[in-house]
Amino acid sequence: MSTYQEFIQQNEDRDGIRFSWNVWPSSRLEATRMVVPLGAVFTPLKDRPDLPPIPYDPVLCTRTTCRAILNPFCQIDYRAKMWTCNFCYQRNPFPPQYAAISEQHQPAEIIPQFSTLEYTITRATCHPPIFLLVVDTCFPEDEDLQGLKESLQMSLSLLPPNALIGLITYGKMVQVHELGSEGVSKSYVFRGTKELTSKQIQEMLGIGRGAPAQPQQQQRGGAPTNQQQLQLPSNRFLQPVHKCDMNLTDLLGELQRDPWPVAQGKRPQRSVGAALSIAVGLLECTFPNTGARIMLFMGGPCTQGPGMVVDDELKHPIRSHHDIEKDNCKYMKKAMKHYESLANRAASNGHIIDIYACALDQTGLHEMKFCPKYTGGHMVMGDSFNTSLFKQTFQRVFSHDSKGEFKMAFGATLEIKTSRELKVSGAIGPCVSLGVKGPAVSDTEIGLGGTCQWKMCGLYPTTSLAVCFEVVNQHNAPIPQGGRGYIQFITQYQHSSGERRVRVTTVARSWADASANIQHISAGFDQEASAVMMGRIAVYRAETDDGPDVLRWLDRMLIRLCQKFGDYNKDDPNSFRYSENFSLYPQFMFHLRRSQFLQVFNNSPDETSYYRHMLNIEDLTQSLIMIQPILYSYSFHGPPEPVLLDSSSLQGDKILLMDTFFHILIYHGETIAQWKAQGYQDMPEYANLKQLLQAPLDDAQEILQTRFPMPRYIITEAGASQARFLLSKVNPSQTHNNMYSFGGQINVGGDSYGSEPADGSVPVLTDDVSLQVFMDHLKKLAVSSSS
Amino acid sequence: NERNLISAEGVETAKPTLPHDFKKVNCNPDIFRCTLNAIPQTSSLLNKARLPLGILIHPFKDLSQLPVIQSSVIVRCRSCRTYINPFVVFVDQRRWKCNLCFRVNELPDEFSFDPVTKTYGDPQRRPEVKSATIEFIAPSEYMLRPPQPAVYLYLLDVSFNAVETGYLSQFCQILLDELDKLPGDARTTIGFLCYDRSLYYFNLAEGLSQPQMLVVPDLEDPFLPCPDNLLVNLHESKELVIELLNQLPSLFEGNHETGSALGAALQSAHKLMSPTGGRVTVMQTCLPSVGPGALENREVSGDSGKNVAHIGPATDFYKKLSLDCSAQQIAVDLFMLNGQYADLASLSCISKYSAGCIYYYPSFHSVRNPGLVDKFDTDLRRYLTRKIGFESVMRIRCTRGLSIHTFHGNFFVRSTDLLSLPNINPDAGFGMQMSIEDNLQDSSTISFQAALLYTSSKGERRIRVHTLCVPVTNQLSDIFAGADQQAIAALLAKMAVDRSLNSAISDARDAMMNASLDALGAYAQQLPSSQRNSSTILAPHSLRLMPIYMLAMLKSVAFSLAGSSKVDTRVYAMQQCKVLPPCYLIQMLYPHLYPLHKLSDENPIKRGKEEIPSAGLLQLSSANIERTGLFLMDTGEAMYLLVGSAVGDQVCQDVFDKPNFASIQDGMMDLPELENPTSERIRSFVNYLMDSRPNGVVFLVIRDDSKHRHLFFQHMVEDRTESSMSYYEFLQFLQGKTKG
Ligand SMILES: [Zn+2]
Ligand SMILES: [Zn+2]
Repeated sequence: MSTYQEFIQQNEDRDGIRFSWNVWPSSRLEATRMVVPLGAVFTPLKDRPDLPPIPYDPVLCTRTTCRAILNPFCQIDYRAKMWTCNFCYQRNPFPPQYAAISEQHQPAEIIPQFSTLEYTITRATCHPPIFLLVVDTCFPEDEDLQGLKESLQMSLSLLPPNALIGLITYGKMVQVHELGSEGVSKSYVFRGTKELTSKQIQEMLGIGRGAPAQPQQQQRGGAPTNQQQLQLPSNRFLQPVHKCDMNLTDLLGELQRDPWPVAQGKRPQRSVGAALSIAVGLLECTFPNTGARIMLFMGGPCTQGPGMVVDDELKHPIRSHHDIEKDNCKYMKKAMKHYESLANRAASNGHIIDIYACALDQTGLHEMKFCPKYTGGHMVMGDSFNTSLFKQTFQRVFSHDSKGEFKMAFGATLEIKTSRELKVSGAIGPCVSLGVKGPAVSDTEIGLGGTCQWKMCGLYPTTSLAVCFEVVNQHNAPIPQGGRGYIQFITQYQHSSGERRVRVTTVARSWADASANIQHISAGFDQEASAVMMGRIAVYRAETDDGPDVLRWLDRMLIRLCQKFGDYNKDDPNSFRYSENFSLYPQFMFHLRRSQFLQVFNNSPDETSYYRHMLNIEDLTQSLIMIQPILYSYSFHGPPEPVLLDSSSLQGDKILLMDTFFHILIYHGETIAQWKAQGYQDMPEYANLKQLLQAPLDDAQEILQTRFPMPRYIITEAGASQARFLLSKVNPSQTHNNMYSFGGQINVGGDSYGSEPADGSVPVLTDDVSLQVFMDHLKKLAVSSSS
Repeated sequence: NERNLISAEGVETAKPTLPHDFKKVNCNPDIFRCTLNAIPQTSSLLNKARLPLGILIHPFKDLSQLPVIQSSVIVRCRSCRTYINPFVVFVDQRRWKCNLCFRVNELPDEFSFDPVTKTYGDPQRRPEVKSATIEFIAPSEYMLRPPQPAVYLYLLDVSFNAVETGYLSQFCQILLDELDKLPGDARTTIGFLCYDRSLYYFNLAEGLSQPQMLVVPDLEDPFLPCPDNLLVNLHESKELVIELLNQLPSLFEGNHETGSALGAALQSAHKLMSPTGGRVTVMQTCLPSVGPGALENREVSGDSGKNVAHIGPATDFYKKLSLDCSAQQIAVDLFMLNGQYADLASLSCISKYSAGCIYYYPSFHSVRNPGLVDKFDTDLRRYLTRKIGFESVMRIRCTRGLSIHTFHGNFFVRSTDLLSLPNINPDAGFGMQMSIEDNLQDSSTISFQAALLYTSSKGERRIRVHTLCVPVTNQLSDIFAGADQQAIAALLAKMAVDRSLNSAISDARDAMMNASLDALGAYAQQLPSSQRNSSTILAPHSLRLMPIYMLAMLKSVAFSLAGSSKVDTRVYAMQQCKVLPPCYLIQMLYPHLYPLHKLSDENPIKRGKEEIPSAGLLQLSSANIERTGLFLMDTGEAMYLLVGSAVGDQVCQDVFDKPNFASIQDGMMDLPELENPTSERIRSFVNYLMDSRPNGVVFLVIRDDSKHRHLFFQHMVEDRTESSMSYYEFLQFLQGKTKG
């Protein structure tokens, strides 16, 4: 083992996991003093094209309270054909089909490099994936609907032919379309103002009723029975793509804007809540526990019926953060309750809910966020369905991996097993708790706790959970030298091919006695993993607690971490030092606390929900970009280089490329902008300018090609209004107000920043504190003997 | 106790005895007639006669000749708004005296202006004064809103039962055939709403590639699934309408849903039609069982005896909805095709108050009941293409001193003399009972005027006016001499329905017998004692059929307590009593019986250039049935051809293409087209009879030894049965009562 950095990288590549601490404090007391909890960012289905196919069931520990899966950390007795469980020490016989194993002849599951392995359960039935489109028809302009229709028609060709597809449209009414009917198109119409139970929906759609009554039909001497009617009734609404794609293409083509008149000064009557409820109900009674995706497209907020977020009077604006703070939202709580209950129902049936919201104003994502959050659905936000941003994002939903398979999995459950010194405190991510108690479940909850199993209805190669653990080993029960702790992640899911698969990741880390060997522990600190994990915890708390409290908590945690692991003399801020693997962490925290995830007042509630949603699901690399955007600088002086996210990086003769995950922004310094305006780049003698201008464009394209959802792409220059996106992100090291000072407490919640675009000059107009000021105060507080 | 009360030519229609010029122009009794062709001067005189006073009107009857006037001025009495008519008195060239209120009115100059000679001439040559039936094209003051287009909405039962009967294919095919003949103009509007447990709407918007079916399964508080295009312009969306009619039967092929949400469908129809009004046609095959207006099976098996229950509605749902429809100018017509009980007593309310009509095809089935298939075919084609008036009202006026107190028929009474008729059809009849409030000594005649204001299917506002004039008398003998026995029987039948509903059928039956007794008793009373004879029943010639009509009514499906007729059948018969014009009503009660074997060319019936062989009518007594003959019983809705068991082999060969009686197939539904005079004569006569009625008919050949023979013989009113008197016994019974 060379460096920790390499160790961390290797483990991430192999197991899709990054721990906050890679050496674990061996007692409960010491663990609580580490400040940053022991936890991990785990990517259950990390892309691993190199894994060998294992077409049989995993071997389980026979102890009924354990049921851990055979893994490379188990001791093997080749002669007795026995294996010892590394979680409970149970000795288990190998099943008969393993009779031939020997030290020379090992099955994959005990080879050390296969600490992550994927099994295909061949005896399980294959289910083609199900896609239920729920489409808004209330658009002020035809173009939006047109754009959406084209995208939907296009998507049909991207679906596997055996996938089932269904269509629900909504406006004032909700229409469930029957697919594949010839001659007369058929749809079931529901009032958008009415809440229907799943049972009512089932009855009204005639599902499960009127099964073919062969004898009665034969009695009639009349026409021969139509083949179509012999199918199960539910198939009328969910048909295989290969059977109905022509029909559905026509149906989508004929889709009209909602025909109900919209009076002057009114919003259209849009029944999002009822439509979604019917979609959830339809799948609930036809395909429970089968992989399915509800794709909800909305061009505006729900204005009537269950789940309405705003009434139809245009003069009543949709709620803002201020309204929420003042508890001045008439419909919010009721709507949230509606969507949360739908989200829970969908989740318990293993169904995903995506929301594609395209409108200039808010659409109610704030109220609806539970749907994608609990089910692992996508949340996509745009201005219009008729934009390439939406179209390319939507296309990317159906992207394939190198094997030509969908990069989406369905109906997963994640189970965590721990060795007896550890317990699971909870998970944070796109999942719901399955409420399964067990010996590995901790009483201390962080995120969704109280369980060792979670449901993840939708997951992708990047979907990641933050999982926290509690060390329960008592101080007086030392762990033998060289002892290791184990964690096993068992992810069962429906592969997009329909196969049932189980991916097993088993990890081990060394214990260390913190009272004797604190340096071992601190050396194993992963500041990136810690920052992302703390980011998730902070957002999780922000969703339930008030914003400023979260900031205060983050500050307190940071100060305590510095106190614990910094090297300093009491009350001497200048003496403060910390080791290399802690050096970036305060900066991450600085950017996190001023990010849109925790500072809400410059965004709409919908935007906040959207940003938080992405942070809650993405993997470590992407999450870090969200917390601290990346800035590259392009100049004549050398190759492009990463530069500090600092106002000092804004220079006249440089081009900057900023990636915030949500935005890709190219910024031309003042001089560059002038040259460009004068057209130098088109002159042969200034070909190098042309190249310089091109380089960031090429790099941006590379990011744009792969990012999901498509980021907003901005090309701007010094002094332009869109430069504000850059200015709001950089550390305001040079502001008009560098002398800004404040008391002994770091608390800047609620301040606005970057509200005025800079006029091209370098100083950033903001009342926000700079990183320098922040660090100074941090050091001061960390070394203070009074705190 | 004569044997031949009815002459071979049938019963003559009584007409008022009026001065010649009035008599010549008086209203056709088929349109408008009074029970008494001489009106008693006082109510006490009427009481002495003990005859019902009332009028019967068939206001929209198809007419071969109808004067239509488009004039800038419609002359009406300034006081009572009576339209000028042949029975007014011209005081001089410029003034006329109203025959209803006696006010003297000025004549506008235009009225007597002759545009040809450009002179002011004799007002008497005006068509208004020359014809008792006339139609005006109304100017805009007769419109509350612009005349609406003809709007037709079809409500089709598509439940399991409905599909099973096979009616849907037949309906769609017939409508396809007749689509171009629906009355209307370029604005004609059409729509379809199917229902079982759910409602199925059809968006037929012009430009769609195919019809769109919108299923609404939620019956609670029915709503329309889209704001427009559920009712579409027939011409603009014709291709889609045709496509839909072609697809409809297969769309519901194999439907297993047994529920029927007729109530919700009707509520939706009301919503859909409210802006325009129009005609809703309902095809119903079962008891509405779900949603609003759901009904329960109230029929008790073997329903007979003294008190027949459930002939009244179980709920006021259909009545209320019907009144709502009426308020929006919507009429609902019912085609009942049910085999099982469907509670017509409740359902019929939807048509009753909205001025709709009701057709009934008990146990309709396209395969198992082919006889009804033909009738349904004829009826539906006629129904779809017959004349229709929309947004209609009918006002009945009568000379001062008379007043109307009870109306019979399908309508809503908007005020004392005004009936609201969202639709008016050519087959609808009405009856009114009158009383004499004041002495009628002011005039030697009194008049009735019916004015029907309607929107034609071409979008014209029109007024059809009928005026009937009847002399007034202070002589009881005149009253008896002028009694119209058919009109009296028809009015008594209508009154009996009301009595049955409000009280009991047994009370209605008592009233029928009392009506005969009272009238005959009163007649005997006014005779000089020398003419009274204790051993015979005395009846004036004009009332000689009254006992037989009363007996027929007592034995009819509507009022009989002997048989075990199904409730729906009885309710339908009662409904027919209320709406049939008198000639059809009398035929229903006392069908026509013809000896077909006696058809001869000697006294032909003339129809255009065609000459139809004829046979005299027979009274309904088995004594008239010979074993060697062929007899045709024509009830109006059904024709039964009875083949006598001893009929000659030649006749069998000529008429049925069979060598002898034994080989004739019982239950044949048509006659083979054979080229021999006997066959041609019979077919010519039967076809003539069929063509001379507005509705279709069930035709059935019954062998004398058939198990269906009761279908024929149940109409033998004069026969004695186990539970009912023969005509002779009835007369004896009446005689006993009159004496006692
Ligand atoms: Zn174990
Ligand atoms: Zn008058």
